[in-house]
Amino acid sequence: MSEQEKNIEELIADLDSNQKVEIKEEPKKLKKKAAKQSKVEDENKIFQKYKIKDIVFLAIISAIMLLTGAFMPLVSNIPIFGIIEICLGLQFSLFPAIGMMKVRKPGALLFMAFFSGIVLIFMNTIMFFCLLLCALICEVLVLVIFRGYKSNLASWLAGTLYMPLTLPFLYVWYSFFYTFTGEEGEAVSAFIGSDPWMAVGMSVAVVCLCALGSLGGVLIAKELKKAGVIKK
Amino acid sequence: MDFLRYKYNNLYPVFAIFSGLLICIFALVYANHVECLYFLISVYLFSFFFIDYKKCIKVLLFSFVLGAIFFVVAFLVSGVYEQGIFMVNRILAFSIGMLPGVSIGAERLARNLSSLRAPRSLTIGMLIAFSFMPILAKEVKRVKEAMKTRGSFNFLNPKIIYRAFLIPFITRIVDISDTLSLSIETRGFSLEDKNYTVYKKEHLRIFDFIYFVGIVLAMVLVIVL
Repeated sequence: MSEQEKNIEELIADLDSNQKVEIKEEPKKLKKKAAKQSKVEDENKIFQKYKIKDIVFLAIISAIMLLTGAFMPLVSNIPIFGIIEICLGLQFSLFPAIGMMKVRKPGALLFMAFFSGIVLIFMNTIMFFCLLLCALICEVLVLVIFRGYKSNLASWLAGTLYMPLTLPFLYVWYSFFYTFTGEEGEAVSAFIGSDPWMAVGMSVAVVCLCALGSLGGVLIAKELKKAGVIKK
Repeated sequence: MDFLRYKYNNLYPVFAIFSGLLICIFALVYANHVECLYFLISVYLFSFFFIDYKKCIKVLLFSFVLGAIFFVVAFLVSGVYEQGIFMVNRILAFSIGMLPGVSIGAERLARNLSSLRAPRSLTIGMLIAFSFMPILAKEVKRVKEAMKTRGSFNFLNPKIIYRAFLIPFITRIVDISDTLSLSIETRGFSLEDKNYTVYKKEHLRIFDFIYFVGIVLAMVLVIVL
C-alpha cells in the first residue's frame, strides 16, 4: 500500500469517527432542544400546572391577608354600608396582586381566596362564599381579557376588582340577616342609610382603595423582580 | 370498638366544620328572635362535653366583652332593648359557631381531608395558611426591629412603610416560601396523582353523631317552640 493510499484511508477513518461522534451527539442535542421547546410551550400555555412552590407562596400570602384582616369580626356588625370592604380593601388587594405577580397562572386568585376563606368561614360565612365567587369572576374576566396573568395589568385589574365585587353581594347579606324591622327593604335602607349617596360614596372609596392597594402590590413585585428576589 | 369509644375534645374534623357552619348560619338567620339566644346557650353548654373546656371559656370571655359593647351600641341607637339582644345573638352566632372549628387542629383537618382524598394542593396550602401565622408575627417583629435600628420607624409615612417595611417583609416571605417548598418536596410531597398513605387516620365515632344530632334537636326546638 502506497503512502497516498494510507493517508486516504486514515482520512476516511477520521471522517467516519467524526460522523460517529456527531451521530452520538445528535440525540443529546435533540433532547435538549425538545426540552427547551416544551418549556417554552409550557410557559406559553394559558393553563399551566401548579408546582408546590406556587401553592406554598399563595398559602403564605393568604395567611398574611388573614392576619391583617383579623379585626373583621369586630367591624362586620357595624351597620355602615361597605365598612368591611373599606377596612379590608387595602390588604385584600395589595397581597393578592403580589401573589398573582409571582404565580402568573390562572387560578392563583381562587387559591388565595380559598386558603384565606377556610379561616374566614368562621368569622363571616357569607363573606367566604362572596370572596370565592368574586375570585372566580375576576379569574374569568382576566382570562377573557388578558388570557392569563402574563401582563402586569392583568394582576392589577384582578387585585382591584376582587374586593369591590363583594359589594353587590352585601345586599343579600343585609337583607337576609340584618332585619331590624323584619321587612327586607327597610333592613337594607337601615344600612345604606336614608341617603343612598353615602352607599355610592363608600363604593367609590372601596374601588379607589383597592386600585391603590393593587398598584402597590404590582410595584412591590416589580421591584422584587428587578432585584432578583422573584424569578419567572 | 373504636366507633363507640368516647374521646374528649376529639370531634371528627369535617363534621366539626359542618357543625360550626350549621350553628353559625342557623343562628344568623334566627338572630332577630329572642329564642335564638336560648339555642346558642344550650349549644354552648352542650359543647362542654365534646370540646376542650378551656377553649369554651376563652370563647365565652371574648364574646361576652364584644357582645356587651354591641348590646350597648344597638340599644343606644335603636332605644329598644330587644335590638341589643339581636345584636348579641349575631356576636354569639359567630363565636359559638367558631367553637367546633377551633377545637380541631389544622393538622387533624389536613389529615382528615387527605384520607378523604381531597386534592393535595388544597390540603398542603390549608395546612401552611393555618400554621404560618405564628411565624409571620415573628417576621413582622424582626422587620420592625430592623426599622428601629436604621432609624426609620415611622408608620405614618407611606414611603417609609413601602421602602423599609413592605419590601424587606415580602423579600423575607419569598425566601421562607422557597425554603419551605424545598423542604416539602424533599419529604416526598408532590401535587401529582400518586398513591399515598395517611399515618394517623381520623375516625368517625358515635359521639360525633350525638353532637350533630344534639345541635339539630336544639334547632328543631327553636323552630317548633
